[in-house]
Amino acid sequence: MSDAVMGEPTPIISRKDPRYQVTMYRHVGVDGAWTLDYYSSHGGYRAAKKAIADMGVPDVIAEMKASGLRGRGGAGFPTGVKWSFMPPVDGRQRFIVCNADESEPGSFKDRYVMEDDPHQLIEGMLIAGYAIQASIGFIYIRGEYHLAYERLLQAIREAREAGYLGSNLFDTDFSFDLVVHRGAGAYICGEETALMNSLEGLRGNPRLKPPFPAQAGVYGLPTTINNVTSFASAVHIIDKGAAWFSAMGTEDSKGTKLYQISGPVARPGVYELPMGTTFRELIFDWGGGPSMEIKAFIPGGTSTPMLPFSDEYLDTPMDYGSLAKLGTMLGTGGVILIPKEKCMVDAMYNIVRFYAHESCGKCTPCREGVSTWLPKMYQKLLAGLGEPGDLELMEEMVTNMRGTAFCPLADACAMPVQASFKHFRPEYEYLVEHGEPMYPKRSWWQE
Amino acid sequence: MIELETVKPFFTDKDELLDEILGRYPEYGRRSAIMPLLWEVQRAERHVSEARIEEIAEILGMHATEVKGVMSFYSTYHEQPVGEYHLQVCSTLSCSLAGADEMTDFLVEELGIVNGETDAEGRFSLQKVECLGSCGTAPVLQVNDTYFERVTRTRCVQLLQALRSGELPEPWRERGGDNVSAEKATLGGDDA
Ligand SMILES: Cc1cc2nc3c(=O)[nH]c(=O)nc-3n(C[C@H](O)[C@H](O)[C@H](O)COP(=O)(O)O)c2cc1C
Ligand code: FES
Repeated sequence: MSDAVMGEPTPIISRKDPRYQVTMYRHVGVDGAWTLDYYSSHGGYRAAKKAIADMGVPDVIAEMKASGLRGRGGAGFPTGVKWSFMPPVDGRQRFIVCNADESEPGSFKDRYVMEDDPHQLIEGMLIAGYAIQASIGFIYIRGEYHLAYERLLQAIREAREAGYLGSNLFDTDFSFDLVVHRGAGAYICGEETALMNSLEGLRGNPRLKPPFPAQAGVYGLPTTINNVTSFASAVHIIDKGAAWFSAMGTEDSKGTKLYQISGPVARPGVYELPMGTTFRELIFDWGGGPSMEIKAFIPGGTSTPMLPFSDEYLDTPMDYGSLAKLGTMLGTGGVILIPKEKCMVDAMYNIVRFYAHESCGKCTPCREGVSTWLPKMYQKLLAGLGEPGDLELMEEMVTNMRGTAFCPLADACAMPVQASFKHFRPEYEYLVEHGEPMYPKRSWWQE
Repeated sequence: MIELETVKPFFTDKDELLDEILGRYPEYGRRSAIMPLLWEVQRAERHVSEARIEEIAEILGMHATEVKGVMSFYSTYHEQPVGEYHLQVCSTLSCSLAGADEMTDFLVEELGIVNGETDAEGRFSLQKVECLGSCGTAPVLQVNDTYFERVTRTRCVQLLQALRSGELPEPWRERGGDNVSAEKATLGGDDA
């Protein structure tokens, strides 16, 4: 896969491409990588200095736009564009917020970055803070991430002592500091407006949009929110340039991204890959291949509709457009393999139960649909009490849940259910007809 | 009168901590301190009692009912004390596919308590929780603040043994993914 002989070089869409370099994830797993000593001896804070001391604010934003980076929190909104939405500086306090609430099942990239490479997040937030002219940054981290919290606090202390956080950074008039705010066990707080409520000391219910955070964010003040790895990407975009980043990936999905793989696979975990890498490459070449027979895979966290595990789908590039075409989403890039012997109805009940548990109860479709009736229907089927008409009722229920709720949580539950009906309806039918699942319960626990 | 001891305000003698927490947020955002204050109490006392709620409300100039309203939204704060060892089993899909359900059954049997209960001695609490962000190293068992990953049956038995003798062992660190591939060391990146 060398450059084309003439004209534009071919894009990098495989980690096997010799031009590809791992950047964001290369220190994770290295003992002591979380210390400032380690970080600064590996080029740490070079990009922040470049942005803050040598580049104007418009240049930083232009570089981010040119890179083609799309937010890594799930929705994929272009990061540079988001940063440019901030209103002109008018003397009011402005905030940059890091969404480190990571709770979409199948996702675990942010945790490792924060535990083993917290300075990378700090540096990314410094760059973003400068770009949107915010002097305060909040990191909203889920409460369970205790080690990551400790490592972040330690890293922030070190960065302050070394003059990377505080006043007049890099001999400029830019000042910036960080506060870490812990969540307390609520998935919905990952939704950006719920997160802001939680940060303000309120219940974590979502807010109506608009106004968007740039207009009225934390405490009603101009705010920009990004995911942990959006910030981490910014470090390398500034360091190596937008052209380096956009040389990787496909038409609508540029750069490098942390993908995750879990379920029965030889080497589960996080892999940094250029966007547009295929599922086949992730699952077989990096993940080492399935350790059991697989029937389906979830492409990007449990809210993204599953696909059958077949040649037809395995060669799909992991990018926004290709997955949208298949009626699903890239989401967080958290791939989950579902083995053949797992009852699909049971697997879906597990997912539905998650969203039922996490529904905030604010709006009717979600409270009645997601957190009450849908799980009840699953319980009924799994208890062997399914009757003719139940499946049609469930299908109707999820159709009615689509697009009718206050926030996307109801869709996050309805869409994967629909996909399971689309691809695995025979398993539902079998269960209703026989009163027991096509694949009986078994133990999955290893000795 | 015997209650006097326990009603001593939690944040008395903790001025420094209190100032630090309140100082994190701008003056107009004082209310933001509610979650960190609840955390401190929950951590130290394994629950947040009525008296503590009132104390926090007073610190922040709020009504106790407001503090309670916030507190009840989040699953981490408990009104009843959890045990000395709070065992939280992730029961979401990837963990379930790695044996979380069997692990829960095992713990129920071993500890004689079901999901949501605390044993009579106040030693162990058992709780099924949702995805802990550790799906690549499933199944996961969180004990108080610490994650134990890839908990096989053997590891679970050993862990329980250690906890019963009053020792919270160091967790084995697991990363999976890029961290186990031998080529990691040779991955590029100009670090100059
Ligand atoms: C129910 C729900 C949960 C979410 N959870 C997270 C999360 O845990 N982490 C995250 O970064 N974004 C999450 N998001 C997306 C955020 O609302 C927001 O789009 C994102 O933080 C923006 O950052 P980005 O532009 O860098 O992706 C969630 C969205 C919804 C609707
Ligand atoms: S499913 Fe258990 S940690 Fe994600």
